[in-house]
Amino acid sequence: MGRLQRPGPGTRRGRFGRGPGLRALALAAAALAALMLAAGVGSVPVSPADIARVLAHRLLGTPLPADFSPILEGLVLNIRLPRAALAFGVGAAAAVGGTVMQSVLKNPLASPYGLGVSSGAGLAAALMIVSGLAGGALGSLALPAAALAGGLAAAGAAMALAGRLDRGLSNNTIILTGMVLSLFLNALMSTLSAANPEYSQRILLWQLGSFSGRGWDAAAIVWAVTAVCTAAFWAMGRALDVMTFGEEQALSMGLELRRTKAVLIVLVAALTGTAVAFAGVIGFVDLIAPHVVRRFFGARHRVVLPMAALLGGGFMALCDLAGRTLASPSEIPVGSITALIGAPFFIYVYFAGRKRG
Amino acid sequence: METQAKTLLRLQDVCCGYGGAEVVHKVSFSVAEGEKLCILGANGCGKTTLLRAICGLLAYTGSITAQGTEVRGTRRRALARKIALMSQGAAADFDYTVYDTVLMGRYAHSRGLLGDIDAAGRDAAADCLRRCGLWELRDRLVTRLSGGQLQRVFLARTFAQDPAVILLDEPTSHLDLKYQLELVDLLRDWAARPGRAVVGVLHDISLALRLADTLVLMKEGRVLDHLPAGRLQPTQLQAVYGVDVASYMRQALGYFSP
Repeated sequence: MGRLQRPGPGTRRGRFGRGPGLRALALAAAALAALMLAAGVGSVPVSPADIARVLAHRLLGTPLPADFSPILEGLVLNIRLPRAALAFGVGAAAAVGGTVMQSVLKNPLASPYGLGVSSGAGLAAALMIVSGLAGGALGSLALPAAALAGGLAAAGAAMALAGRLDRGLSNNTIILTGMVLSLFLNALMSTLSAANPEYSQRILLWQLGSFSGRGWDAAAIVWAVTAVCTAAFWAMGRALDVMTFGEEQALSMGLELRRTKAVLIVLVAALTGTAVAFAGVIGFVDLIAPHVVRRFFGARHRVVLPMAALLGGGFMALCDLAGRTLASPSEIPVGSITALIGAPFFIYVYFAGRKRG
Repeated sequence: METQAKTLLRLQDVCCGYGGAEVVHKVSFSVAEGEKLCILGANGCGKTTLLRAICGLLAYTGSITAQGTEVRGTRRRALARKIALMSQGAAADFDYTVYDTVLMGRYAHSRGLLGDIDAAGRDAAADCLRRCGLWELRDRLVTRLSGGQLQRVFLARTFAQDPAVILLDEPTSHLDLKYQLELVDLLRDWAARPGRAVVGVLHDISLALRLADTLVLMKEGRVLDHLPAGRLQPTQLQAVYGVDVASYMRQALGYFSP
């Protein structure tokens, strides 16, 4: 039999035109625009051209115009850009983590926070704040490092518990143990917060999440971890595809389910833990971004993962922009913005999809 | 042209169950190349449990060998190239196209770190699409298909997996008669090629008889009888199901007699 022309990647003719190429390009452009907007808009507006000049000056050594204000340069370089970059990185991490968890658990409402990562990180951060270790002599990375350790420890405990209860590591066991452990750790944190009222405001603010006051080191760490994890998930894309058909099906199709699941969950915990450590718990992006991307690009993980990163990153950068400008000079927590925009949007997307079916 | 039919699947004193409760007791039979074997038995007699053990989803004692290899301890990928399971529990919740779904059947044959599927694998998947009458639907999303179409997609994916033995776990139970017959005929055609066999659990006795050339009758986890499909006696069905199946069927057909 003659060789067959493969019907092209992502062909969804009659519904979305030809292939994901153009739409992917459009999304990438939109994500870049969001990043520029997030870095440009504020009490002192900076044009994309000026941002590009500053970047070129720093990265390529091209000279700045003679009349270029050094204050503006400092503002772009030390405040706006790292903040926008961190927001983008955290958004990308959340979207990618959400994509993977939804497929691993075969549950459209699954979230990377459900592993206990956020609660563990929150408790660790609260302990650091209450004990006065945060922001002290240990440096600005002490709190994020402790939060990451707490998040990973919680996820590890949840997985160990799930593995003990159920050797097959079934989805319901993972969801249940993650949920129970999260509730338990959250209760511990509430107790800690209530017992130390002088710190409860700070603990609450950490919980709500923020990108303010972070430097390049935070953005660089989040970007690096996100890039590595996303690449790993991309490599395991076919396994993720197979998993979405259910555990029994995946096993009989030849997937080493237990091992694959464990690797994926460890990576998601590291990814989410890093994001939470620097920015607190910011919900909804992890839930929404994968759904929106799948509606426009189909379900294949090799496509969905990078697209979710772009969408989640761009969306988070814009949400942070809204959060710091709408009620300026005070800030609205970015987690509130993502929920305010995200909740109705999610309902629209989810139910519009239902009706078409 | 005369060749000795090879044994593709051999069960020897297989016992298995859930959480200490043994459901299947000392079951032994073997399945030869080209054979289409159906397991008949009442609900709870251990049919599905046995199938789950055969494809490595459930621990067992005794021995189950697929093409001479013990199922226990075989790597999933290698096992999936020998045995595929098509079950009623399959559902499509994510927006994959029909083509992508069938191509996933090649997972067990994919290579390298990235799990790449080569041109031959894509050709095989396309061939399975055509054979199951799905070529025109290849760009449709599986989430938008009817139950009958979806089941055909899963059958095509099972074919694309290219195993030696296909296990059926009541894949037709919620389908219209037309689709049930279609599925059985596609399976018969598939099994007609060399090196293949089917082991099925079908709720519908008439459908099982249409597919099978060999029957295994099970009751309370044990094999009552193992016989060619043509030799099935009404009394045997009565022994297995506890009701007079034959006269029920005659009676049902009687509605259409003049």
